[in-house]
Amino acid sequence: MTPRRKARSLPMRIATGVVWVVVAADIVLVGWILLTSLRSGTDILNHPFGVPTHPKFSNYSKVFSDGGFGQAALNSVLVAVLSSVLAVAVAAPCAYALARRRNRVSGAMSMTFAMGLGVPGQVMVVPLFIGMAKVNLDDSQPGLILVYLGLAMPFTVYLLTGFFSGIPQVLEEAAVLDGAGAVRTFTRVILPVARGGLVTAFLLQFISAWNETLFAIVLTHSQDKVTLPVALSDFVQEAQLNGLDWGAMFAGVCVVLAPMIALFSWLGSRIIQGMTVGIGK
Amino acid sequence: MSTATIQDSSRARRSRGGSAPRPPVGAAPLERSRRRMFWAFTAPAVLVYFVLFLVPVGYAAWTSLYKWDGIGPKKWKGLKNYQTLWQDPTFRHSLTNTLKILVVGGVLTFAFAFALMLILREMNRKLFARSVLFFPCLVNAMVFGIAAGILFSPTGPVDKILEALGWSHPPQWLATQHLSTMILGTLIWTATGYYSAILMAAVDQIPEYLYEAAELDGANAFQRFRHVTLPMCWDVISVCAVLWTVSSVKIFELILMYGGSSGSQPPAGSWNTAMYVYTEAFPTASTPQLGLATAAALVSLFMVIIFTVVLRRLLRRDPIEY
Repeated sequence: MTPRRKARSLPMRIATGVVWVVVAADIVLVGWILLTSLRSGTDILNHPFGVPTHPKFSNYSKVFSDGGFGQAALNSVLVAVLSSVLAVAVAAPCAYALARRRNRVSGAMSMTFAMGLGVPGQVMVVPLFIGMAKVNLDDSQPGLILVYLGLAMPFTVYLLTGFFSGIPQVLEEAAVLDGAGAVRTFTRVILPVARGGLVTAFLLQFISAWNETLFAIVLTHSQDKVTLPVALSDFVQEAQLNGLDWGAMFAGVCVVLAPMIALFSWLGSRIIQGMTVGIGK
Repeated sequence: MSTATIQDSSRARRSRGGSAPRPPVGAAPLERSRRRMFWAFTAPAVLVYFVLFLVPVGYAAWTSLYKWDGIGPKKWKGLKNYQTLWQDPTFRHSLTNTLKILVVGGVLTFAFAFALMLILREMNRKLFARSVLFFPCLVNAMVFGIAAGILFSPTGPVDKILEALGWSHPPQWLATQHLSTMILGTLIWTATGYYSAILMAAVDQIPEYLYEAAELDGANAFQRFRHVTLPMCWDVISVCAVLWTVSSVKIFELILMYGGSSGSQPPAGSWNTAMYVYTEAFPTASTPQLGLATAAALVSLFMVIIFTVVLRRLLRRDPIEY
């Protein structure tokens, strides 16, 4: 490394220490949430730091049976996967066309998509609730998937336009000279090259659909239709009536949290790259 | 942004040249097929975006001019809904909270994110530290809201630690009057890692030779930051500022669940405009006020628009080529 790095000043060493303390605190916090989910409610209140000597897996069976978390987890996976796949499938050709064809029409179109990035969700929540009820898709998974698909459009198109612009034009020119049509060129030449970008777009959309709460709360309420955030908030509200069982509540929290930990440890660098470099483009 | 526009116009000229009498050899068939396919490629996304996004926004603007419970007939109100909102102390408080999150939270998040980025760059194992600090932004904020209910309870870990350190009477963290500050703090903590990762990605792309040149010219660390780092990632800073504006205005689940043990609704003192929209449109006990709710939502949209326009003006700089 550069000599600059070895000769660290005192303030810099203190600052580095502070950052490591925060890093450690983050890890401890997540670990504490995971451990607490295996303890009984009274134990948690009396000894906040305790380690589960007798892991209480019944916390999990309680949220899965009483709280309906099993069905909710399935629903969450279904809604998040399908809405993300659809979003990428619909947005990718559009983003490709916008990246390659630069004129007034495509410029205006990109601008309109980008403007959608600035609309906070609460603006659409009432109209979409009314609209989905009109077409009998309220309190249903297809309805929620459609809503997430629409919400995903601005960001997915924006992100993928950036990715497609980075793919050299030479590739298509060669394909066209070989006699391939535009659709063939897109599916056979461009998509394989852009696979990384498509996977990133899918991942980011999956994460936001997994965590989405406002629309899920408004649009689904039957026990067999809700997604995990709704199940968790229902569980918390019910717990207020029947007395708080913190152990079971933390088990519910972990069902929401754990898949993100798994996903992040597996594909962390790709997620970070998509959410940082992809944004700045 | 401006660099992109320049490239666009040169490309646009090239594509318009494609329809000229004598197109360049080789590009002509490509151009022709592209023009034909442009609409076929964009149609599905445009349709979805129009029906499921733009129409709802328009419908919200239209509904905000009526009094409506969602079932009965609509009653024309015009701009009176906005006037009612302005006179409603709960809404004014929600708006103040939203602005507080946006401005105070924004300034603090950026100050922390910038400092963190500068420290991370000089650290060993910086990728690991960055990943850990980044992670909270991928988690549903409800998780931290519920965890805070135990962490900051009077017998919880935080107070126990503070007691051990000699602070025997820590504040009532979760009391109603502290709630919005706690929410703000949690938000800054989750956002700092994310924004510092964005800034880090931008700074990593600055070529090393600029720093070497600055060092040869005798610039110290602060001058290198002021004259190399800052101007080179200015574009990204302005994108981040806009991103923060939108994401801070739509915070919902963190406020809904903070503390984990509040009543069926969080206390009105901690609401922001998103929470206000939700409680007005989908109340547990009273009749829904859809007109008022959409008007409140539109106010938050106007807020984003105003902030975005002003921020882009303030942060506009001449693009730097390298």
